[in-house]
Amino acid sequence: MQIRPILAALRRHKAGTILIALQIALTLAIVCNALFIVHERVERVRRTTGMNEANVIAVQNLYVGSPGTYLPLMKTDLQALRSMPGVEDAYVTNSFPLRRGGWSTTAQRNADDGKNGVQSALYFGDEHALATLGVKLIAGRNFTPGEITSFTRDQQPAPPQVIVTKAFADKMFPDGNALGKTVYYIKGRPSTIIGIVEKLTVPWIDTDFIDNVTIMPLLFDSSYQHFVLRTKPGQQDAVFKSVASTLYGVNRMRVLPEKNGVRTFGMVRSAAYEADRGMAVLMSIVCGVLLAITAAGIVGLSSFWVGQRRKQIGVRRALGARKSDILGYFMTENFLIALAGVVVGVILALGMNQWMLTQFEMQRLSFTYVLVGVVVLLGLGQAAVFAPALRASRVSPVEATRSV
Amino acid sequence: MLKMTHLAKVYRTEVVETYALRDFNIDVKEGEFVAVTGPSGSGKTTFLTIAGLLETFTGGHYHLDGVEVSQLDDNARSRIRNEKIGFIFQAFNLIPDLNVFDNVEVPLRYRGMKAAERKQRIMDALERVGLASRAKHYPAELSGGQQQRVAIARALAGSPRLLLADEPTGNLDTQMARGVMELLEEIHREGATIVMVTHDPELAARAQRNVHVIDGQVVDLAEEPRFHAHAHTAHS
Repeated sequence: MQIRPILAALRRHKAGTILIALQIALTLAIVCNALFIVHERVERVRRTTGMNEANVIAVQNLYVGSPGTYLPLMKTDLQALRSMPGVEDAYVTNSFPLRRGGWSTTAQRNADDGKNGVQSALYFGDEHALATLGVKLIAGRNFTPGEITSFTRDQQPAPPQVIVTKAFADKMFPDGNALGKTVYYIKGRPSTIIGIVEKLTVPWIDTDFIDNVTIMPLLFDSSYQHFVLRTKPGQQDAVFKSVASTLYGVNRMRVLPEKNGVRTFGMVRSAAYEADRGMAVLMSIVCGVLLAITAAGIVGLSSFWVGQRRKQIGVRRALGARKSDILGYFMTENFLIALAGVVVGVILALGMNQWMLTQFEMQRLSFTYVLVGVVVLLGLGQAAVFAPALRASRVSPVEATRSV
Repeated sequence: MLKMTHLAKVYRTEVVETYALRDFNIDVKEGEFVAVTGPSGSGKTTFLTIAGLLETFTGGHYHLDGVEVSQLDDNARSRIRNEKIGFIFQAFNLIPDLNVFDNVEVPLRYRGMKAAERKQRIMDALERVGLASRAKHYPAELSGGQQQRVAIARALAGSPRLLLADEPTGNLDTQMARGVMELLEEIHREGATIVMVTHDPELAARAQRNVHVIDGQVVDLAEEPRFHAHAHTAHS
């Protein structure tokens, strides 16, 4: 290898060398962090809810009426929905995973413990909730029809029985055996954990208690309700198309919003992670553009250097260099510049991540991304320089005898 | 050492073919110092580029050190250039980005020689041309005569069988030219085979033998026809 003379020659072309190495360094730093952000967003988008999300439809419903009249309407609607052809089960609730709106509270282990507690989202529902959502009950039992009660806006949700997620149960009772234990959602109003489900996520996507959920056997006597339906396999489209007319057929005194009135769970998920997907796409485009600009820079500089050094290449060929030697010279030269660039780039990438850690609550950059970035940039450099290097290798040795 | 028989070099375009060399015959024996002379455009530089395997030829035969070179591939030609031929160019052709030491080292690196041997040969060659003390200088820091001496050191370092010099004093003033010429004569006295292309009759006279080229052919000076200003051109 002729690394020493290449380095010696590069020292005589400092400006171009430093500029391209800096470009590689900046690209590496930005691409590593951008790809890491893309990875984080993709991981969020792929997060599961604990539900069996296939064949689920959510209906947002606003009754037109006065308080006290809604409970019978809800029950009639549920009956109509459960009777629809293609519907397997249905229930009415205040919220569900990825809805991005709902209720939460801090639950306590003791009646008088006002400080320490575990935050939990609150979902209301009846004995059909678990089956409709498709969540897995891993301990205890489901609600019975007799346990379902209702409450109004003036009252507080504190039923005698609750079903909780395993994550919530483990946090609430780190020693285990949460089943049968008492929890206080409202001071002085005990609730007993009668069942534990494997996993169910909160309605929001940005909380630090994403898996802490409590399901209460309650019907909320309010104009604003959400019906959740599970259709039979292959029946989702048919139910999706007819569910609004079914509800309007039962009672026209309601509003099903044009945009979000009836949604498949796929649509719910898509809307919830729209910003994450957007960010992932934007960051991917930024990465692509940066890599393209860097590659273009390398091609440009290499082509310029090949043009500038035609005579020198001819002389080297005359002195015995094979075509492969010339090709190797330019490839090695680019590799050395790119290597210097990635060394600086790694430091910049880690520094940039450190800054974002403090400013934007990002996670620490995985070294795998830095490593992948290094390999990509070195590979990109070699790919970009290949065509100019090949052109250089085709310079005839007779060029040495030509006067400029 | 160098034998060309009925050698031809034709440059073709879509409408015209130009004979740079035609029926070109030359035989340079080992240890000879031959000057190839002729007017501009006579074909003497073309002869040198073919002799140095920098260019291919169109017809005829060329034996270099007993090897017929017409069938050799590019790698084999590179190897012969590297191992058997030393070039001295009119414009010196040193690599401006490399210092004197690194310039002399270029052909040795392509030979895959070990570092210790390379260093020994480079220092020997630089001693030989009197520039060992300038090993770390860059070409731009040297005079024209010194640059040509470095180029000669570069040509000598690989111990070539044949030295090809293309107007080696063309870019030098009289005093520097004399110095370079004396160096070439000294190298020849030590046994080197040298073929030098020049249009300077005074320099040519210092060679053992003169070969005169006109219109792409070697001519006997006694029978030289007059009014040959350009190479022969035939329209296709």
